[in-house]
Amino acid sequence: MYPVWEGFFIHSAMFVAIVSAFHVLASHLTVAAAWFNLYLERRAVYENRPELYVYLKRSALGLLVFAYVFGAMAGVGIWQTTTAANPRGISTLIHNFVLYWGSEWYMFLIDVVGIIAYYYTFERVSPKTHLRLAWILALGGTGTLTIIVGILSFKLTPGLWFETGASLNGFFNPTFWPQLFMRFALMFTITAAWALLIVTGLPNGYFARERIIRIAAVMGLGGLIVALGIWFFWYDPTLPAHAKTILRSPAIPPITFTVIIGGLIATFLGLLFALVMPRRQHQIIALGAMLVLFAAIFGAERTREVIRKPDIIAGYMSSNQLVFNDLPARGIQREEQPLNETGMLGALPFLPRPDQISVAATGASSHQVAMGRVLVIQQCAACHNVSNQTAITVFDQRLALRSLAQLLERRKMTTAPKIETYLNGIGAFPYMHPVVGTPEERAAMALYLEYFLQQQHAPQSQAQARR
Amino acid sequence: MDIGDMLERMRDPLGAPFYPPALQVLLVVTWVFHIFFVTLALGSSAFSILGFLRPNEYRLRLARVAARLTPNAVGLGIVTGIAPLLFVQTIYDPIWYASNTLSGFWSVSFIFVVMGGYSLAYLFYLKGSADGRLLWSAVASFILLFFAGWVMHVLASVSIRPERWMEWYAPGGVIDTRGVVFHSWNIPRLAFLLPLQAGLSLAVVLTLFAWYFRRIEEDAPFMTWVADRGRWLGLAVSPLYALAGLLWAATEGAEFGVGMPVGIALAAVGLALTGYFFFLKQPMQHAPRTLLVWIIALVVVGIVREGIRAVSLARFGYSVSNYPYMMDWGSILVFGVTTVVGVAVVTYLALVLYQSGGTKRDAQVSPRVERLGSIATGMLGAWFAFFILVGLYTTFFLK
Repeated sequence: MYPVWEGFFIHSAMFVAIVSAFHVLASHLTVAAAWFNLYLERRAVYENRPELYVYLKRSALGLLVFAYVFGAMAGVGIWQTTTAANPRGISTLIHNFVLYWGSEWYMFLIDVVGIIAYYYTFERVSPKTHLRLAWILALGGTGTLTIIVGILSFKLTPGLWFETGASLNGFFNPTFWPQLFMRFALMFTITAAWALLIVTGLPNGYFARERIIRIAAVMGLGGLIVALGIWFFWYDPTLPAHAKTILRSPAIPPITFTVIIGGLIATFLGLLFALVMPRRQHQIIALGAMLVLFAAIFGAERTREVIRKPDIIAGYMSSNQLVFNDLPARGIQREEQPLNETGMLGALPFLPRPDQISVAATGASSHQVAMGRVLVIQQCAACHNVSNQTAITVFDQRLALRSLAQLLERRKMTTAPKIETYLNGIGAFPYMHPVVGTPEERAAMALYLEYFLQQQHAPQSQAQARR
Repeated sequence: MDIGDMLERMRDPLGAPFYPPALQVLLVVTWVFHIFFVTLALGSSAFSILGFLRPNEYRLRLARVAARLTPNAVGLGIVTGIAPLLFVQTIYDPIWYASNTLSGFWSVSFIFVVMGGYSLAYLFYLKGSADGRLLWSAVASFILLFFAGWVMHVLASVSIRPERWMEWYAPGGVIDTRGVVFHSWNIPRLAFLLPLQAGLSLAVVLTLFAWYFRRIEEDAPFMTWVADRGRWLGLAVSPLYALAGLLWAATEGAEFGVGMPVGIALAAVGLALTGYFFFLKQPMQHAPRTLLVWIIALVVVGIVREGIRAVSLARFGYSVSNYPYMMDWGSILVFGVTTVVGVAVVTYLALVLYQSGGTKRDAQVSPRVERLGSIATGMLGAWFAFFILVGLYTTFFLK
């Protein structure tokens, strides 16, 4: 339906993943840090402990610069990257939820104006007024969280939306509540690492240092335990069977779980260490904890995105941006089936007719191969590397996201007839939809993939010959 | 495929959740705030660089203020940019998504460019603005921020030329999925919307700055100087603004057959601003009015910009007024309630910021604002109760 942007050196999906993991880290941090700061500020006001303001002011500046503004930029970055990588997926979300997003924007505006007011009014307004600003920040941040979780969870479990077509049913979907509380708990773990980073940056003589480290560690450990509890007893049982199947399939490389579990264990031990030995804390340890959390979040968010595969909106739209199910409540009809009869080429905007596709300029061996390239890019490029454009070669090692060439080779599908058979049977995998198009188009796709495979080998064998 | 059919087919089958022309109005209004902060960031960045390159006492002092203003204006530009981004995707999805994917690499790079520009602006403010060290970081920041504006300009320019999309996407019959080519731009439009508006936004904010700190007696001569600089900057830029508007009308306007109305509107805005700044004898006292005048001017520009888009797409039968929609009362309710709460809280926060500054003496927030604060915070707390009730209603009754 739209032009395809495959990515450039790095696959488009990886751009989305990197930007969104950073955004999750920053945005989660802002919410729980606001609650943590509110807690400390209440103690500062009601127990008359002005030394806590030293920490609060430093934390607020860090949040203002790092979390709110960079987090906001990464938020806009998610729009930009998802739009370029999968415009129709984001379009479905926008057309369902634009006014929820508008509501989230108000909450976000409260956050951003709030942190500016909070930081610049230290010692300029009464402690009670400043405490109110802390309350506003905590509530506003939590408001953004509650709204965005509705939209995020919709992609995996649209629930009753399929029957009613009502945005409210899509928003308050089966995984909304467990995901909301799980994220809320986990935020405190991220914030604990943040608090350690800030407080260890304060001078050694700062006498609230150890107390703050201990409070942060307890809060972080508590958050982690509660989040794990919610995962095992509420979120995981709510996941649809399909998602659970994918979770145990090769669609998720085992290294992902190693990173997530390893990251959680390291974080747990790190916070325990902080609790037991607050004096031994150092900024480098805190920074390390932030990096470990980033890696774990990256893995977890990628997993969350993958378990609804092959769909971009589970049960409604596949990753190739075609609607594959009817939605009678909104008068929408499936698109994939008619395209199997008419063919893809020439039937959708930006998919040229066969006679408009040039052979010469592509360097392809035949017109069929050139046609196949267009079709493979349209149907496979959202998740797979299908050309040299989205790969980087480092020390003879080709880095590419789920390279179709490597995948076919691993399965010994290296000739066009074998690849065509493979394409025809691909719908049997739980993480793949059947290929869309006429038999002729599938044959052209197979020819292109054979050509792509050969392309991969040509430069390597030349390099080996040189050695 | 016929371009009209293509555009219609590319519209999202879900349609809009509200009367589309109302979303179009929101698009224009929110864009005005966004462009104000974006151009302010560029203007203050340029001013801080010039102030350090050609220093005198007042210029240096003001350059330091400008260096502090730049990253904050970038931050607010980003925040206010999200709202028009939402609305443009809702009613102009075919052109917005097509343009973003045709220029995919730049669309994605945009965010890294802005992050770089923001970081360097902060670096200069925190580490260099006291004595002018690290001026390179301010210059690099300005270049990056301007480049980000260029990318957005190209995206908008590509989006209103659907008749050329296939030629750009598949030149010579080969699809190009790199998204690295700048397919379309218009220099007069860019000059009008970015550097010249940056000058005017800065001019207006200089008068506002002087007005805000007018009560500090020992700073009176400096504040008068600042307000005068604002007026002179406005007076110098406004005629150029009118000229760039005419050039925009003669190029892009003429291309879409609306050269005359666009030229009249934009030249009139430029000339009216020239007249305003010429007769503005007490710029400090009338700073709030100047801001109002500038906002009205930006609204006119926003409407012209929207008009060109509408005319361009009308060639292929695409119109916002016939965009399919279905009133989605659930989301309208959530948005309506959040709007009331959000406006109340942001108003309170703005009043606290306003009342806590502006003087070197101990500032206190007035009891009336404190009362508003109690109400606004209570409303924000009540919002969660509303949210949970809607959630429970949906879960148990909306089937």
